[in-house]
Amino acid sequence: MVEKKKATTKKTETKKQDTKKEAPVKQEVKKQAPAPAAKSVAAPGVTTKPEDARIGVFICHCGTNIAGSMDIPAVQEYAKTLPHVAYVDNYKYMCSMPGQTVINKAIKDNKLTGVVVAACSPRLHEPTFRTATKEGGLNPFRFEMANIREQNSWVHMHDREGSTDKAKDAIRIAVAKAALLQDLFPKTVPVEKAAMVVGAGVAGMQAALDLAAAGIKTYLIESTPSIGGRMSQLDKTFPTLDCSQCILTPKMVDVGRSKEIELMTYSEVDNVEGYIGNFDVTIRKKARGVLTPAEAEARGIVGGGCNGCGDCEAVCPVIKPNVFEIGMKPRKAIYINHPQVVPLIYTIDFDSCVKCGLCVTACGPEKKAIDLESKDEFIKVKVGTAILATGFDIFPIEKKEEWGYKRFENVITSLEFERLICASGPTGGYPIRPSDGEKPKKVAFVLCAGSRDNTGVGKPYCSRFCCMYSLKHAHQLVEKMPGCIPYIFYMDIRSFGKAYEEFYYRIQDEGAKFIRGRVANILEDPKTKNLHVYADDTLLDRPVDMEVDMVVLAAAIQPAADTERTRRLFGVSCTGDGWLQEAHPKLNPCGTTTAGVFLAGVCQGPKDIPDTVASAEGAASAASIPIHKGEVELEPYFATCIEERCAGCGMCVNLCPYTALSLVEKDGRTVMQVTEAKCKGCGTCGGFCPGGAIWMNHFATPQIVAQIDAFLLGGEQ
Amino acid sequence: MARTKGYPEALEKKLHDQRYYREDSSPDFTKRVEGISRTIAHMCFQCGTCTGSCPSAPRSTYRIRKFMRRAVLGLENEALTDPDLWLCTTCYSCTDRCPRDIAPTDVIMAMRNMAFTHDIVPVNFLKTVTAIYSSGHGVPNNDVNRAARERLGLTRDPPTTHMYPEYMPGIRKILDHYHLKANADRIIKEREG
Repeated sequence: MVEKKKATTKKTETKKQDTKKEAPVKQEVKKQAPAPAAKSVAAPGVTTKPEDARIGVFICHCGTNIAGSMDIPAVQEYAKTLPHVAYVDNYKYMCSMPGQTVINKAIKDNKLTGVVVAACSPRLHEPTFRTATKEGGLNPFRFEMANIREQNSWVHMHDREGSTDKAKDAIRIAVAKAALLQDLFPKTVPVEKAAMVVGAGVAGMQAALDLAAAGIKTYLIESTPSIGGRMSQLDKTFPTLDCSQCILTPKMVDVGRSKEIELMTYSEVDNVEGYIGNFDVTIRKKARGVLTPAEAEARGIVGGGCNGCGDCEAVCPVIKPNVFEIGMKPRKAIYINHPQVVPLIYTIDFDSCVKCGLCVTACGPEKKAIDLESKDEFIKVKVGTAILATGFDIFPIEKKEEWGYKRFENVITSLEFERLICASGPTGGYPIRPSDGEKPKKVAFVLCAGSRDNTGVGKPYCSRFCCMYSLKHAHQLVEKMPGCIPYIFYMDIRSFGKAYEEFYYRIQDEGAKFIRGRVANILEDPKTKNLHVYADDTLLDRPVDMEVDMVVLAAAIQPAADTERTRRLFGVSCTGDGWLQEAHPKLNPCGTTTAGVFLAGVCQGPKDIPDTVASAEGAASAASIPIHKGEVELEPYFATCIEERCAGCGMCVNLCPYTALSLVEKDGRTVMQVTEAKCKGCGTCGGFCPGGAIWMNHFATPQIVAQIDAFLLGGEQ
Repeated sequence: MARTKGYPEALEKKLHDQRYYREDSSPDFTKRVEGISRTIAHMCFQCGTCTGSCPSAPRSTYRIRKFMRRAVLGLENEALTDPDLWLCTTCYSCTDRCPRDIAPTDVIMAMRNMAFTHDIVPVNFLKTVTAIYSSGHGVPNNDVNRAARERLGLTRDPPTTHMYPEYMPGIRKILDHYHLKANADRIIKEREG
């Protein structure tokens, strides 16, 4: 090991001497004070003449991650033979402080004009090595990364020769580009001191409260008439058995009262334009038919507007199923979801309203709160950052026909059970059999109903909180209805959270029966409406046919219906299951690949309430950073128009997915202009332009052609 | 019976055993087991540490986890009539290692007690009773042991009822109080004539 190191330093020393002999004058030039772009090259920005490039190559072992599957000395020897390469070194961990010092020192000692690090993915350490390059005195964009780990040593672990060859290719290609890299300077843009949160469930509310507490004006957008989301439908919460409403209502009231939060219920995001720091969002306020006191005052009705008295509801002749109670209770065409709603403003369901006008009369001439002719309104706001907290829906479990939901009356979902066991629910908190209103004596809970299902009908993922709420349901049954036995059919009990395993212990101790086996099918006794649950008791190794009074399906969850539309507006990507995609699952779980847009709660993936609130606080913190900073730095990867080549055809303008391009008059001719802050550097325009008039910074045509040439020509050109 | 026409009776019985069970045979079985064993049998979560620890399991069909499962579900008949019940050596390895701090060995002992009240017991266990009744030992001393003890410098008989036969009436009194000897004699006679 020591010998090898010595050999390396010796060789580099000789190389150093060689280059010094070669051209001491050229090096002076390369010191490069930002020089104006040479018109002949047609490359805007500062560059070194390719023939003057002096590239340093640094090969990382990554412990044994890389060094274990390839011949590092061979790669190093090869790198020395490449054109422009002035210095080559290797180190056990290039990203460590000593590793970065190697780069820093080499740049100064060898007067390098570009740096290539052959290591992991740029997603991991590009920022690290850019900083190292900068500290060595170069522009940070004079750095290029060759990925010899994720795309090489890890996948070719057992092919030492092949991976060594591939690493040589990768380095050759990177060096070819590094020789043509230019100095780039990130732009900064100011950030609007306001934020938006989409979705006012517990995640959205928490995020909005945190942002408001940090002094940031926050628009909280909720598509339903009241805030609280799924959590407001729950009775108790595991594992502490806190009453859900009791812990949620104070937060709802805080949201309603906060001066910094502008709450917009019964509203949807209609359109989003702009970029981090400057999002222009259009909000559609759906026709509610009822005026808030503030809206009434704006119309000159002093002291008017809805005060939630409910006189209108009493006279309304239209009866509809109550969606909040999952259809288990009726509601009128003018309604509120439950007595604790925030804001306490009625809403008219115009799909069922017959416009009889009885409510208008009941409301009276003083309040004048009802406007049967109200229309959707569009409101534009400007925000610096946005948080999506769009939540989830229950998977339509009737699609799994074997469990008979919607065919058998006494098969219900856990959300329905939640309403039945809730004191403010349709039965006053006592679960009854839907078929005859009798109290059940034996209840089967079917876990993983639609989760962990690769048939394409259900969902392949674990919904993460069904185990725990089913345990809670079992507890509530035992507590409220002595003598009732809950049977829990499970594959695994996933009680992973803080105090969750203890909760599982407690419920088992209270008398819940656990049967390890996924329920295969359920049949109904047509006379008694009892249900036969068929499963394998895998612990006894025996098929079970259990007759029960009621079955509760712990149905899988899926992204809320409107998630897809909303995420497209904000340019956020999603996984195959529709959950919104975080920038990195471990290192950036609240961020997205769209700068300035963050994720909170279940829209990113199934989470229980503690995780949801934690994620919301994380998102709020992340979203407040650019706002507090006041300005953001944009990656300088934007397109630039080489005006003397631009014919002003405007075809690129329509192609741009980010509306960053426009045509302008300049010196008597039409040319394209780039709004740099909007440009994401995707390259669509640059690749298309028939005149070659668009220069993509950091991914310029000559740079990419050089990479392709280096790959195709191979070896030492 | 028509279903398995022509099969031996034993197989018919086995198939019967493996059919769907519709009701827990005895809902208070768990409570009675816990009453005798003084352990929290209902808290078993079937991890299998007991069977994994069991020295009997690799050498026999004895699966203590299954008995724990039957205790939880109240499957009394199944637990008490399974001949495997008597393959436990009561080494207490399972009790040492149970993560839920249950004593599975004591659950087995409770089940054996309950089985005995139905005369379900292997004859060799009853012969042990007879041996204790006559000598105070389940495995009485013999000449080979006596010679070994002498070589080790011990007394020919250990300081138990072998050395102090005057305590035998006390032991017999205890066994007689529970009619253990009488029952053992009766069952042995029924089985072996």
